[in-house]
Amino acid sequence: MANASPDWTTRLAAFDRRWLFLIMGFAIVLPLLRPCGIPVVPTPMVRAAYSQVEALKENDVVFLSLDLDPASTPELEPFYKAVMLHLKRKNVKIVIATTWYSAPPLVESWIRSGLETQLIPEGDKSYKGAKDRVYKKNVDYVYLGFREGKTATIANMGADLRKTFDGRANDGTLLDNIPFMSGIKALKDFKLSILISAGSPGAKEYVQYVQARYGLKMIASCTAVLLTDLAPYYQSGQLLGVVGGLVSAAEYEVLVGRNGSAIKGADVLNFGHMVVVLAIILGNIIYFVGRRARRASGRAVPQPKGAA
Amino acid sequence: MLKKTLPIIIGCLIGMYALVEFYVPHYHAKELMKEILDYAAILGAAAFVLGAINVFQVSWPKIRRREEDWQYKVVMLVAASAMLLAGVSWEALRGKDDAPVVQKTASATSALVIDTEPGVEVTVNGRALSPDYLKELGGDAQALTRGEAVTLAVPAGEYALGFSRRAIGYSAPSSTVVLAAGERAAVRAVPSMQWGKDGRVKTWLYDYVFAPCNSTMFALLAFFVVSAAFRAFRARNTEAALLLGSAIFILVGMAPFGRLISDSLPDIANWIIEIPSNSGRRAIMMGAAIGGIATGLRIILGLERSHLGEG
Repeated sequence: MANASPDWTTRLAAFDRRWLFLIMGFAIVLPLLRPCGIPVVPTPMVRAAYSQVEALKENDVVFLSLDLDPASTPELEPFYKAVMLHLKRKNVKIVIATTWYSAPPLVESWIRSGLETQLIPEGDKSYKGAKDRVYKKNVDYVYLGFREGKTATIANMGADLRKTFDGRANDGTLLDNIPFMSGIKALKDFKLSILISAGSPGAKEYVQYVQARYGLKMIASCTAVLLTDLAPYYQSGQLLGVVGGLVSAAEYEVLVGRNGSAIKGADVLNFGHMVVVLAIILGNIIYFVGRRARRASGRAVPQPKGAA
Repeated sequence: MLKKTLPIIIGCLIGMYALVEFYVPHYHAKELMKEILDYAAILGAAAFVLGAINVFQVSWPKIRRREEDWQYKVVMLVAASAMLLAGVSWEALRGKDDAPVVQKTASATSALVIDTEPGVEVTVNGRALSPDYLKELGGDAQALTRGEAVTLAVPAGEYALGFSRRAIGYSAPSSTVVLAAGERAAVRAVPSMQWGKDGRVKTWLYDYVFAPCNSTMFALLAFFVVSAAFRAFRARNTEAALLLGSAIFILVGMAPFGRLISDSLPDIANWIIEIPSNSGRRAIMMGAAIGGIATGLRIILGLERSHLGEG
């Protein structure tokens, strides 16, 4: 008789998971519509990344590797825009490349929206930093494009950046004709390398193949799942700062003084994380109450399937 | 000999050289290594071609035999072929040229006549031909938006003209016209749709098909994670309880609301990442590195031959 009608914990544990999807959907959409603005406090890893960019001087040349695809845009684009604003207002020259074959159209669109456009519109009262300006192609920045070869390309850039890209920018302009590229032969000639990575090859491979060998100064921004991959390199001093995921990007925005999409997205994370934590707690309560009830009634305790 | 021994000898020599080069500071050693890295990059690119051929070789027989999920393979092959065709620069193959056509005629006063299609942006000497600028040059401010030719009463001189569209993937014809006194130059240009890697079709497919599909796949993770959190994350034993506890501290501590609950929560989350997680990860990385070195040495010495098709 007891086996014929399952107890409430069994029924609850097996309820339609689409309800969970609906709750998660609300947790994502509602904060976007009604931001609650929970304050964001920068952590040491993000502060370290910020201070590396802050230490740059006018006309220093930095290398920016954008190793990503459209899927990682929501997590990585806010940091990209914040750091571009930071670099632009310091009047730093930027050299951009990518090692991901799916990245070039995305990178070109980011260049248009982040460098060739003013990130802070004139008269924006919420922004208190130095004035933003438009960067000009091959004058303030150069886009080298994509080269296939993954780690071999990274190693190549460490040895000879010009040869890796045949001495030309993506639009065919000779690097010799770009004045700020005159002293740049390899990655070691940059004052700082900024690596925005969504996976492999990316920041990890830059550290493994070129950082230690040439003693490069590097900071990285990555998706949240990659943070644990890169944290050991921050601890060892090989990465001088790490901005991991959307929350860290929001922290960077706070430091730069620009309220961007990461700060809005931080609210989504708050609610999303809350739903996941509640799901874990609720799932475990149901599991333990059910187990106790089944033990008390002498029924067999179901064996776990795919246990965490 | 050629199929087995030669690849082993090449692998051994290149592998040994890559190891030794680290410790040889001589200029020529570095230069040779650059060449080897170039070859590695070329081989990596060539692997893409082989990969594409392999996809066709594997998928086509399955489609022919109507095996399970054959319809998805058709979609994949059609999508791959569409991207491949969109990536070819057809106008370069045809030798098509859309440079501005300039026709000069004698006239009482010198003038530039600009003829193009509506929606095309025109620049004269680097400055966009806005209604204000058109007025300044004595032209009809609305002519270009109506798609009519506009006459500019300009003095003799050299004029750099540029034609472009706002959308990406169109050509941007440009020309420098030297206008003599008493000469009228009619310039006609229409930016044409481009094919190839920066062309309109590939850009459109990337922006409106690939990017949304790619983002959707990633976005679905949020829903699967919450489902898995409810159904599978159970504190069934001590290890699972520790894992769960860490996960909850990280989830709460890494989100800004963690600081609202307690100032210590973010510190606990950071401590978990910096101490236990880093220690574990470092141990895994070192183990994997030692494994990598061992495997690398076995390949270099020809002891490991699975990459040559041997068991």
